[in-house]
Amino acid sequence: MFEKVLIANRGEIALRIHRACREMGIGTVAVHSTADADAMHVRLADESVCIGPPPAQQSYMNIPAILTAAAISNADAIHPGYGFLSENANFATMVEEHGFTFIGPTPEHIRIMGNKVAAKKAALDAGIPVVKGSDGSVDSEELALEVAKEIGYPVIVKASAGGGGRGMKVANSPEELRKGFKTAKSEALAVFGNGELYIERFLSHPRHIEVQILADLHGNVVHLGERDCSLQRRHQKLVEEAPSPALNDKERDEIGTIARNAMVSLGYRSVGTLEFLYQDDEFNFIEMNTRLQVEHPVTEMICGMDLVREMVRVSAGAPLGYSQDEIHFSGHAIECRITAENPTTFLPSPGRVVDYHAPGGLGVRVDSALYSGYVVPPHYDSMIAKLIVHGSTRNECLMRLRRALGEYVIGGLDTTIALHQRLVTEPAFVNGDYDIHWLERFVDEESTD
Amino acid sequence: MVKSPRVSDVNEDLVRKLARLLEETGLSEIEYGKDGWHMRVAKALSAPVAPAVAPPPGNDGIQVEDDPEALAENADVITSPMVGVVYNTPEPGAPPFVKVGDKVTASQTLFLIEAMKVFNPVEAPRDGIVVRIMVSNGTPVEFDEPLLVIE
Repeated sequence: MFEKVLIANRGEIALRIHRACREMGIGTVAVHSTADADAMHVRLADESVCIGPPPAQQSYMNIPAILTAAAISNADAIHPGYGFLSENANFATMVEEHGFTFIGPTPEHIRIMGNKVAAKKAALDAGIPVVKGSDGSVDSEELALEVAKEIGYPVIVKASAGGGGRGMKVANSPEELRKGFKTAKSEALAVFGNGELYIERFLSHPRHIEVQILADLHGNVVHLGERDCSLQRRHQKLVEEAPSPALNDKERDEIGTIARNAMVSLGYRSVGTLEFLYQDDEFNFIEMNTRLQVEHPVTEMICGMDLVREMVRVSAGAPLGYSQDEIHFSGHAIECRITAENPTTFLPSPGRVVDYHAPGGLGVRVDSALYSGYVVPPHYDSMIAKLIVHGSTRNECLMRLRRALGEYVIGGLDTTIALHQRLVTEPAFVNGDYDIHWLERFVDEESTD
Repeated sequence: MVKSPRVSDVNEDLVRKLARLLEETGLSEIEYGKDGWHMRVAKALSAPVAPAVAPPPGNDGIQVEDDPEALAENADVITSPMVGVVYNTPEPGAPPFVKVGDKVTASQTLFLIEAMKVFNPVEAPRDGIVVRIMVSNGTPVEFDEPLLVIE
């Protein structure tokens, strides 16, 4: 096992990784920018190294600085967390070339899944259901029209190098497609420096359902069920739950088995998430995240497993030690992502946390690096806490979530706690009857009230 | 430092007195009150033993915390531009680039910082005299760590 792990991240996930390492008896090295000198992960880690100024490009994404910090602190392995360098194949390669273990998948798998066209092809080859669409990239408007005719309207044009909703255009007709194709191309070029596009059938009211997988270095793979992350705003997830209210045991088992077999055939290692759009009882693969996800705790709560611990363990070469039959799902879990933003205007609200009181009690978990007196710096993501609640049934979970949100005090900043409080009483959410567009409509209606 | 007097006219002397007591005793907060008002003077727990006022720009916000002597007006703290290992000689066994008391000229090499097997020179930003060196040869340094002071 490793003696010392360097955590190449910040905020709640750096703390989350530190906690897992500490419980395993592994020393931790925190790296941080000058803006994070007082951060909780820095205070709790065994060692800390300041690696750069506040901008992430010069600190948390500064590969030479992170590798140098690992060298001077004698770390054995590097955990990238999520965001920043977690899906940077070049970083993963350099980590290994410098003699450290990268706690994550192989650089090759990161590279394949990082390119949407390559990922879709790999998924198809591995037997994963994908959304109908172009076979690879579409270089001309004429080809686009031809493909759209074949798969049927509405269609969506996407950038191969894209993400976060940019470089995407929906078209309901050939005229709209001609227009959308041009716009998407120039947008993709401007934002990603790569104008490559592809086309897919547009699903009008899908749910976002993703399957968590875990694999060791010896070819053992398990799936840990699904998460429903349909509550999104501007392609950012706000609330996630497991299991999905839309799936039954048979469907869960089927998609889980498909995901597991695909990972065996790919020779995948570490954790990964296959994301699907689910509509009309069909799964449509959209992408695979080759890293730990923000919403991993909901899976942990229903499986009774520590995913970060498992990630560290398998990276050190340990076998899983259990099979799919031994994975049991128990109860229901929901996560609310709390951000330092105004709950109606969504304007960011960095600043000092004057009062802090986290909710507690049975089945309540808070993953956050906040503390009373902490100053939320303006340089990074606005997510400041994750409230995760577990209950033996979905209803119990919802009641507990309402109770916990009511106890949570984060004074001095605007936070989205109030938005979550309104959300959890909405009939559509309570009934589990929502798709990926529902939250945007809910937020829009609220702001026009 | 946070002060929250509940009186309309702020008693500055009292604030100063309490603040001084806070420093002397090493406490993190003092609350004092009488006749229906009270005053709390507290140090933010996260703050290092450092001033509450922002350091002047010009020295990149560096505070030399373990330094009992105040810096002279014309002093500049040279900090590490990157994380790495600092060397004060051009090669092992050679005399150091600079010693305390040396006169330096702008762009003269003061240290080498090794990061990823590349040696990066740290140069003097201006002419001056080396008054203090804070790092020893071959030790790891963080980004922004004070290396040397010139006057």
